[in-house]
Amino acid sequence: MEKANKVELKIQGKYALFTDPLTKIGGEKCSYHIPTYEALKGVLSSVYWTPTIVWIIDCVRVMKRIRTQTRSAKPVDYSGGNSLAIYTYLAHVEYQVQAHFEWNMNRKDMAGDRNENKHYFVAKRMIEKGGRRDIFLGARECQGYVEPCRFGEGIGDYDNYGEIAFDLMFHGFDYPDEFGKDELHARFWRPKMIDGQIDFIRPEKCTIRKLVRPMNANPPQSVGLQEEGLFDELDTKTV
Amino acid sequence: MSWIQKLYETYENCQSMIGKVGEENEVPLLPICHTIQNAQINIVINLSGEFVRAAVVPRSEAKTIIPATEESAGRSGKKPACYPLCDKLQYIAGDFLEFGGEVTVGFTDDPHEPHNAYVKQLSDWCDSSYKHPKVLAILDYVKKGTVVADLVKEGILHLRPSTRLLMNQWSENDNILEIFKLLPGGVDNKGKKKPWQADAFVRWSVEVPGDPQSSIWTDPTIWESWVNYYGSVKSVKGLCYVTGEQRFMASQHPKKIRYSDDGAKIISSNDWSGFTFRGRFTDTKKHNTYQTCGVGFEVTQKSHSALRWLISRQGYRSGDQAIVAWATSGMSIPNPLDDPLSILGEKNLKNDDCGSIFTAQNLAIKLKKKIAGYKSDLGDASGVVVMGLDSATPGRIAITFYRELTGSEFLSRLEKWHDTCAWIHDYGYNPETKGHIRFVGAPAPKDIAEAAYGSKVDNKLKKTTVERLLPCIIDGQQIPRDIVDSAIRRASNRAGMEEWEWNKTLSIACAIFRKLNEKEGYDMALDENRKTRDYLYGRLLALADSLEQWALNEAKEDRQTNAARLMQRFADHPYSTWKIIELSLAPYKARLKAKSQKRQVLIDKVHAMFEHPDDYISDKKLSGEFLLGYHCQRESLRPKEVETTNESEPEMVTKIDE
Repeated sequence: MEKANKVELKIQGKYALFTDPLTKIGGEKCSYHIPTYEALKGVLSSVYWTPTIVWIIDCVRVMKRIRTQTRSAKPVDYSGGNSLAIYTYLAHVEYQVQAHFEWNMNRKDMAGDRNENKHYFVAKRMIEKGGRRDIFLGARECQGYVEPCRFGEGIGDYDNYGEIAFDLMFHGFDYPDEFGKDELHARFWRPKMIDGQIDFIRPEKCTIRKLVRPMNANPPQSVGLQEEGLFDELDTKTV
Repeated sequence: MSWIQKLYETYENCQSMIGKVGEENEVPLLPICHTIQNAQINIVINLSGEFVRAAVVPRSEAKTIIPATEESAGRSGKKPACYPLCDKLQYIAGDFLEFGGEVTVGFTDDPHEPHNAYVKQLSDWCDSSYKHPKVLAILDYVKKGTVVADLVKEGILHLRPSTRLLMNQWSENDNILEIFKLLPGGVDNKGKKKPWQADAFVRWSVEVPGDPQSSIWTDPTIWESWVNYYGSVKSVKGLCYVTGEQRFMASQHPKKIRYSDDGAKIISSNDWSGFTFRGRFTDTKKHNTYQTCGVGFEVTQKSHSALRWLISRQGYRSGDQAIVAWATSGMSIPNPLDDPLSILGEKNLKNDDCGSIFTAQNLAIKLKKKIAGYKSDLGDASGVVVMGLDSATPGRIAITFYRELTGSEFLSRLEKWHDTCAWIHDYGYNPETKGHIRFVGAPAPKDIAEAAYGSKVDNKLKKTTVERLLPCIIDGQQIPRDIVDSAIRRASNRAGMEEWEWNKTLSIACAIFRKLNEKEGYDMALDENRKTRDYLYGRLLALADSLEQWALNEAKEDRQTNAARLMQRFADHPYSTWKIIELSLAPYKARLKAKSQKRQVLIDKVHAMFEHPDDYISDKKLSGEFLLGYHCQRESLRPKEVETTNESEPEMVTKIDE
């Protein structure tokens, strides 16, 4: 990597549900008060992703006051029928996120695609367009919207608020395709929000992690850009 | 910012409260691995395991803290697991079957199973290094298998005449035997009469010469012995999602959180078929490796115990909804869902110097002082948590609200709520003098819900309304406009309610309208300079109402005034309705003669205050502000009796306007 490759974007939505795992298993989902690393990584990956890169979230700025709202839900029970639940969402969220990408060194087949300028500008363009895929904030029913912004600009509700400490919180998953081991791990950390800003620690810096289960990376078979016939096809098309 | 972590801290901070029973319906803070049950029989034995005596436990003393395993604490179904020490006769009595006792349905194939399981579990405890001499004595006694026989001999249990079977009914004419009074009875699902006596729950006392602590349910050494033993049996270790450490995992989480037969759990993890959380997780019921999440056994026990205690002690509960605010340090704090009267508490009201003449300001000052008192007790460093719980189904509890604040932040938000949402209310009730208390302050959220949607408000709507009002108090959020509008609409419809209910609705509507329009800075006293159309129209209505009411009183007529009857119409079409009301005042003016002078002058004065004729002539609907004008004008017409209290400011009186 020669440059920082930083991107900045504003994420907003009417609802968000960054489910606390303790409330997930029973089905009465209740959101954490702040987004998890994994959720933001998901947003960035929806905006632009390719196997060559890994998104790293640097920090998030909480722009609006943390509010919750409950909604009654009628989730489908796969053993038949429905059950009833109450979900607790965050309401009217707005975040500023700073992130950058790094090469995914586990995808050696994509080595020829490691072109910083290309990916950086595609990512930038995609943020301007609002992302390649649907953006959602923690759960599928919470549609989100992205747009470019200058990180730190504008007035946030938690400016000069001081520090809010959170107890042990889910950080993210180590999936085998990026982590490089045939195991799925869950990572934890203790975030601190200072004047509305949370600086994420890098995934490998999380000391508390748990082996969830063995899992194999199963990337599609490919030899990257050297795939046979790829260029031929392009050539014939342009002709 | 984790509810379970905060509850855990609270438990640790309140260690000194463990096992102390406060008021009657309060659940004590339980030691971990313990639960609470009502016992009916107390058996006294000595240290060598010999029967001494037994007695029926009166209902008022029945609450018993008993050791419990995770399975027994959440027991239900056809084969309920036994408690380790105190339990029903079917588990502890070896001779239960001889006396015709019937075991729970699931055990019918092997009726000895409950007792054997009980003895096995108790023996395991006694074989461990955590054994306790008194528990050993109980085991010795139980092994003899003479529990029912001894109880019959002692006259606690009763046999059917000339049989060796337990009596299961009594004829109406007989004196009801003591044990039958305590036990619920009934017919089982096969239509058979249940042997009620056999359902009795037994607790133990072990008498040791020189040891005053004979009742084992209040003996901290036995609690400790069980906690240590049970902790040593656990084998599965894993990452605790609360502490982040490797701990012994809880396989089940406690229930009975909100009330004694509450079967719902906050953390429930028995879903292996609904695919609620699976996907990347592959756990099965057989091979539960806690992939999704795991909580330390000790952590979950302590935090649930703390929550149960807090809800019963200081929570607000309405059906399945429970809302509780507490300081993690264990200090007492006011309940955010109370009105000033409840925050001040009954004791304060009883001791108040002026029995019937409760003065509104007086109470407002008291509330301020009380909150200031909390402030100095609590300090800034102490954290306050507000948590709301609710269920959609009987099995699970959802966390519907969770906030952490510092103590001073919490109290200043509460103070601000009582300041900005304050109005003069008449509906306070003093159980001592059976009189109404006038007070100034914010109405309680449940009263606001009733004001907005009627006293017969649907339970669900009431719950949601209370929940929606909670952020207004705790976060200082804007009060929802629809609730205010609804209350105003109801307050305008005077004809639809009884007098007291309407008065209550009116003052609450004024309070929340004032809160919604905080920026306007409405005064609680009559503002003689306010020239807004709606306010003036409100004043006019009050003046007309008062004039007519006076005339009716003079003539001893008992009927509603025109102003009262037409209030709804007045709110929608003030100008055209005012014409009707004013014209109909003529006979009353005549009746009152010169006495009505003051009000007539006032009416003219208010008329003159309309700045634009268009304002007056317009038939546009009135906003909630007209209620404020009405209420303030009515208030200022009240006869002011000068009271002889120490305070120098003028006092207001609770008499209804004449």
